[in-house]
Amino acid sequence: MSAQAELAAQQAEFMAHVMADALALPSGWNARFASGLDIYRNAYRTRLVEALRDTFPRTVQWVGDEAFAAAAAHHLITTPPSSWTLDHAGLGFPEVLGELFANDPEVPELAWLEWAMHTAFVAADAAPLTRERFVAATAGFAGEDWAEMRLIFQPAVQTCSVAHDIAKLWNALKQDEAVGDYTLAQPGGLVVWREGLSPVFRMADRTDAEALALLQSGASYGEACSLLADRLGPEEAAALAGSLLGQWLADGLLVGVSV
Amino acid sequence: MTTIQTFAGLGLGLRRSHYHDFLEGEVAVDFLEIISENYMVAGGKPRDVLSRVRERYPVAMHGVSLSIGSAHGLDADYLRRLRELADWLDPLWVSDHLCWTRTSAHNSHDLLPLPYTRAALDVVCDNIDRAQQAMGRAMLFENPSSYCAFPGNEMEEWEFIAAMARRTGCYLLLDVNNVFVSAHNHGFSARDYIAGLPLERVRQVHLAGHTPGEIVIDTHDREICDGVWRLFAEVSDMLGDAAVMIERDDAIPPLAELLAELDIARAMQQAGAKVAA
Repeated sequence: MSAQAELAAQQAEFMAHVMADALALPSGWNARFASGLDIYRNAYRTRLVEALRDTFPRTVQWVGDEAFAAAAAHHLITTPPSSWTLDHAGLGFPEVLGELFANDPEVPELAWLEWAMHTAFVAADAAPLTRERFVAATAGFAGEDWAEMRLIFQPAVQTCSVAHDIAKLWNALKQDEAVGDYTLAQPGGLVVWREGLSPVFRMADRTDAEALALLQSGASYGEACSLLADRLGPEEAAALAGSLLGQWLADGLLVGVSV
Repeated sequence: MTTIQTFAGLGLGLRRSHYHDFLEGEVAVDFLEIISENYMVAGGKPRDVLSRVRERYPVAMHGVSLSIGSAHGLDADYLRRLRELADWLDPLWVSDHLCWTRTSAHNSHDLLPLPYTRAALDVVCDNIDRAQQAMGRAMLFENPSSYCAFPGNEMEEWEFIAAMARRTGCYLLLDVNNVFVSAHNHGFSARDYIAGLPLERVRQVHLAGHTPGEIVIDTHDREICDGVWRLFAEVSDMLGDAAVMIERDDAIPPLAELLAELDIARAMQQAGAKVAA
């Protein structure tokens, strides 16, 4: 057996015991070894559940400590960590919460927001496109250039469709006053980005979030306008498209344009 | 491989709760140590803070995820990010631990113990060669603390480390607390351990607190105990101009408490130097 294969077998066996309970100890592993192994096993679980608690504090607050711990343990079993950084432990956790809290759909939406804020915190820096720079960049546009225009968003920008007023829930949790039903009258959206070094978010109309998501995926401004026209009709769509563009510029979501 | 010059300073770990102190005040430390992974990010506040800290202090990089003992080799993406950070930061040096953290499928996010066999030594040395090549610099590796030892070990931990340093040209980070913890847990002599290391390769020393018990746990969440201080006092004159730092990762106190511990280390170094002279 090669050195690599010999060590790989030992490490696979050790890791299996770190990640699971009640495996029979291999021959040669005595009780002292088992006691030491227990420390690694407990540390593994504690560290990962704590990482999730740190990343999703408002979700912990909303669902309660016990329910969150059970969900975190489930996530750990179904999606054992594979990334080099503990910061990625929450990847996929909002989706897991969606399955576990199928009757409380605001839970995955709240968790989505916490995860988006977490990732926006360390997203690449990018100087926002000012209104003046936007005007200068588009000054020479011919008519068809507007339809072909691609908007470049700051790397921290993320959007999500939601059925609940997650901003209201977020702020109520901050005040420790969250109770009741936060269902929106009409489906809406969430937009997350970064102002300087601080992640921020706002609720958005469904059309705002969907147009933004479409443009982020690489669609042209003209294609986004078509989406709005399908929903609202051409005249209202044109007015809204201009309004949304102004909002994104004012928020600092854009960093450039290209044709 | 490149040479790492000594840096005879006393330092602390850069932790979030002390950002303001280090950015706004005049703190009496010679260097700061960062957890590399906390800054291996695209941008945002961590990198902003670090760039401003770097303007004021020399910085050492200390990682926890290289997994130099992994039988499945090194993570190319991780190494690329580590190199990017080192090139950007220009650190005193880059260190990690003699341990493994992952298999090909899963990451424990813990510093797991290695079997001390000739097979493991071959793997570790190959990985160190690759890591130092990828980083374009020699690295430091820290002696681990551990809670169980593999049956079938073929050498002592310090013999493994000495052979590793000889074969790869790497340098060492001597964690005095880890020696104390593992000496208790495995029943060896801490003095024998340190005497068996190539101390001329030590460029940095860690001092930290631990949780006592039947099995002592390396928690870094409290003050340094008398036993660790005694061990450091006994060996400090043997460590030349190695940099010394207090490592606190949990229950982080106000900076003044850590600076007071650093004063103790300074006094012990000076007393050791007088004895040696």
